[in-house]
Amino acid sequence: MNSTNSTSQDLINSDSSTELANNELPPKVAALSPTEWLKANLFSNTFNSILTVLSTAAILLIIRGLLSFIFNPLRQWSATATNMRLLMTQAYPEHQYVRVWVSLGFLLFLTGISLAFWRAGRRVQLSQVGKRLLILGAFIVLATLLAPFSNRATIIWLIVGILIVGIGLLLKPSHEDKTISSLTLLSGAFLLAILSLWVIPYGHHSYLSTRTPKILAESGTVAMTTKLPWTIMFLVAVCSYFLGSFVREKIDEAKSKALLSVTWLISPLFLLFLVLRDPDFDTRHLFSTDVPIFLFFSIVGSVLLLWLTKPDVGEKGRVISAAILFIGFATFLFQMLMIVRILTLVLAFFALAAPTFSGQKPARIRYTKVWIASMVILCWLITAINTPSTAKVPGDFFIGGFAITLMIFFFTMVLAFPLGVLLALARTSKFPIFRMISTTFIEFIRGVPLITILIFFSVMVPLFLPDGMDLTEIAAVTIAFIIFEAAYLAENVRGGLQSVTQGQHEAAEAVGMTNAQKTVFIVLPQALRVAIPPMVGQIIATFKETGLLAIIGIFDFLYIARSVIPGQTQFMGSTRENLLFVSLVYLVICFSMSKASQRVEKRVGLGER
Amino acid sequence: MTSKFVKLLAVALTIGVVAAACGSDEEEAPAAAPATTAAAAQVEMVADGSLLDTVQARGTLHCGVSGSAVAFSETQADGSVTGFDADYCRAVAAAVLGDADAVKFTALTASERFTAVQSGDVDVLIRNTTWTQSRDTDVGMDFGPTTYYDGQQLMGRASDGFTANSGAADLEGAVVCTNAGTTTEKNVSEYAKLAGVNITLKTFETSDEYWQGFIDGACDISTTDGSALVGRKVKQQPADEEWVIFPATPISKEPLGPTYGQNDSKWADAVNWTVYATIIADEYGVNQGNVGAGSSYEGELQRLLGGDGELQTTMGLSADAFHQVIKQVGNYSDIYNRNLNPVGLYRDGSANAGWKDGGLIYAPPAR
Repeated sequence: MNSTNSTSQDLINSDSSTELANNELPPKVAALSPTEWLKANLFSNTFNSILTVLSTAAILLIIRGLLSFIFNPLRQWSATATNMRLLMTQAYPEHQYVRVWVSLGFLLFLTGISLAFWRAGRRVQLSQVGKRLLILGAFIVLATLLAPFSNRATIIWLIVGILIVGIGLLLKPSHEDKTISSLTLLSGAFLLAILSLWVIPYGHHSYLSTRTPKILAESGTVAMTTKLPWTIMFLVAVCSYFLGSFVREKIDEAKSKALLSVTWLISPLFLLFLVLRDPDFDTRHLFSTDVPIFLFFSIVGSVLLLWLTKPDVGEKGRVISAAILFIGFATFLFQMLMIVRILTLVLAFFALAAPTFSGQKPARIRYTKVWIASMVILCWLITAINTPSTAKVPGDFFIGGFAITLMIFFFTMVLAFPLGVLLALARTSKFPIFRMISTTFIEFIRGVPLITILIFFSVMVPLFLPDGMDLTEIAAVTIAFIIFEAAYLAENVRGGLQSVTQGQHEAAEAVGMTNAQKTVFIVLPQALRVAIPPMVGQIIATFKETGLLAIIGIFDFLYIARSVIPGQTQFMGSTRENLLFVSLVYLVICFSMSKASQRVEKRVGLGER
Repeated sequence: MTSKFVKLLAVALTIGVVAAACGSDEEEAPAAAPATTAAAAQVEMVADGSLLDTVQARGTLHCGVSGSAVAFSETQADGSVTGFDADYCRAVAAAVLGDADAVKFTALTASERFTAVQSGDVDVLIRNTTWTQSRDTDVGMDFGPTTYYDGQQLMGRASDGFTANSGAADLEGAVVCTNAGTTTEKNVSEYAKLAGVNITLKTFETSDEYWQGFIDGACDISTTDGSALVGRKVKQQPADEEWVIFPATPISKEPLGPTYGQNDSKWADAVNWTVYATIIADEYGVNQGNVGAGSSYEGELQRLLGGDGELQTTMGLSADAFHQVIKQVGNYSDIYNRNLNPVGLYRDGSANAGWKDGGLIYAPPAR
């Protein structure tokens, strides 16, 4: 019952006007009265009735068990509360924490603007909201009666539950024309959560760093250093949404959407390496080495690319591009600045792709501009990564905990995706050598468990590296994740590639497209669209697989919860509390990702054609 | 058209980032010539000399610890590392660099600890590591003086009939729980086999998990190093139960101390004498609170704390190196009491009392 409701609800998309949506709705089914509903769905025959009773009893027992576990006075929830900073960023210095908030605020700002530009959110009928609230309130009342609360707590929670039920009852009979935006609902929920930080005495857990450490747990609301930043974060998100809706009418929307997409891709790198890591740039070295290298590559590269994109360059251009690629690989055999190797390889890539973008002068100039923009970003990034950080932390790496889980996940997704597409293309290629290399790679990686690859990369690979080359454990395991996920994504993409019919290939050839153009503009867009559901499944799996980092001893979210906090004298025996918290965070994130992917599938119209 | 270029930019960036990730950690030379052909890559200083010189040139000590061992090396809520082992890392830093805070802690798992020393990731390993013959010879480590004499014991419930005088014979049919993949597993099986009793061994991945098993009643006996048993009893014994530790003489010897790569005498001397200095200072009752300049003492203390006749400069340390250790970190008792008293471990009457009080903590003379 519930699921059919939500499906019909999802069909009312903000993209289509309400009128249109109404026309697309399936014919209405007459509503059943509660007793009829119960009979039809739960007690239709003897066997079903027995099943209903048994499973209800089982569910109630499980809820009761969970609640009495969570609210048991023996639970050391202060272990999780006191160590929240450790869980989130490990040892990021407290006086530099403003950097964490700035990064988070910037991401929320981007989120707000993007929500406005893509007109996210849909209209939800108030009666539906009422129904959900009714269910929620009833659940709270039920849970309160089951949980081993003190009388006072029972009364408070009963009042809360009954209040929610009341609001639900008020909203339920409202007319179906009355709707509210899902974004309003969401921000309302966040507002309530943040207000509760200011009002409800969650307790103030803090830690005094001295040679004999002290844990302070005071009653009252949470510390100012927690509630104030979160309030600002909320305001930033809401204001940026309104700013976005205000601005989007006044400027070229397609262009700004493209700009936003690029910002989304680049900003995590900049936030991580420039804001959070705060590199301590050496001006002299910067001007003596990095800037000249940047200028050399931008100028020589621009001239070369301007020439290569001429429509009449022909075979000569390809030979030169291939030569640059060869030089790019050859640089790894000699001692050389890493930045030179990387830039040579990127130049080779641009040179090889040049024929696809050949054309009139404006197009050629635009291609060159893209090259210079890539140079600016890359050089800055490489220099920043190679500069020592000012964030002084006791550990090996400047962040840990949940932040490192997110960081490795982000790098894996951003880098495994293009690698996976390349592997899939190679595996379906006409050249036997590409096919062989790619098939061997994919089957080999898929045949080995991820944990084996991780252990190999964290323990063995550093021993294989030549003298003078050094790879931190974090970089090594990120590469391990990338190649593992790329192999799986490649198989997903290959499935999509096979769904593109021969007719599409022939049509593309008929209009005179080159192989590269056919692949980039005709085949891949269709293939990727088909591959969305399995790829999202893979992305969620990847996020959960980051938990394996704990086994190789990297201070990730799970390792800190499972081994580090129970290793503190004050919090021995607090593993279960911490693990419950970690699972909650994983659950919320994976569930949101899966919901978001359902919406994307609807948008691209999968399963409806 | 715009989106086409945006896509291209995106692909270019990702490729660049792949390359950057692979090379991000390579040492980049501050090349003198700005040309692209300047192929100067700085190779890490090849250690012809001792690790001591490398550490002093670097200015930070890289110390390998566990990071999640109660009272020995705990990672605190703000990310700092405290504990008995961590304090000895600080002591070595104070001796070698003059600053107890010039330490970079690296948390290591049991399986990666020796590789970390061999690959040079850490200079010294102070990670409750037992000194054994195979590690000393086969694995290629050298061991410093023992800082803590531990030994494996067992713990049961008084309600199950166990007392402090229980022995192997009482274990018949018991479910014994311990950490997976450690020597405790082997020790307790050997112990039961020698006594000819049958036990069921249950192992868990982390120590907190098998303690949960013991508390929940899934295990009759819990076994690990005695220091951990005492800590758990103090912190986790429910009010209505009585846990007992037995046998009085541990079933294994677990001498724990600093560990470093083999055949580097100069570095070994610096680490060893840091430990000895804390012990000698303790013998004289000189502690963090009352330590004065070396010249204010006579004899052994005068030499040790940097007064006339000091021997530290010949070791490649500064004359007041051990004065700094006592002032910044403390003597053996300071370090022990600060970290181990909170978990119920006291020096008196244990193997870790000074040799004059019947314990095993002993240092060669400083002269």
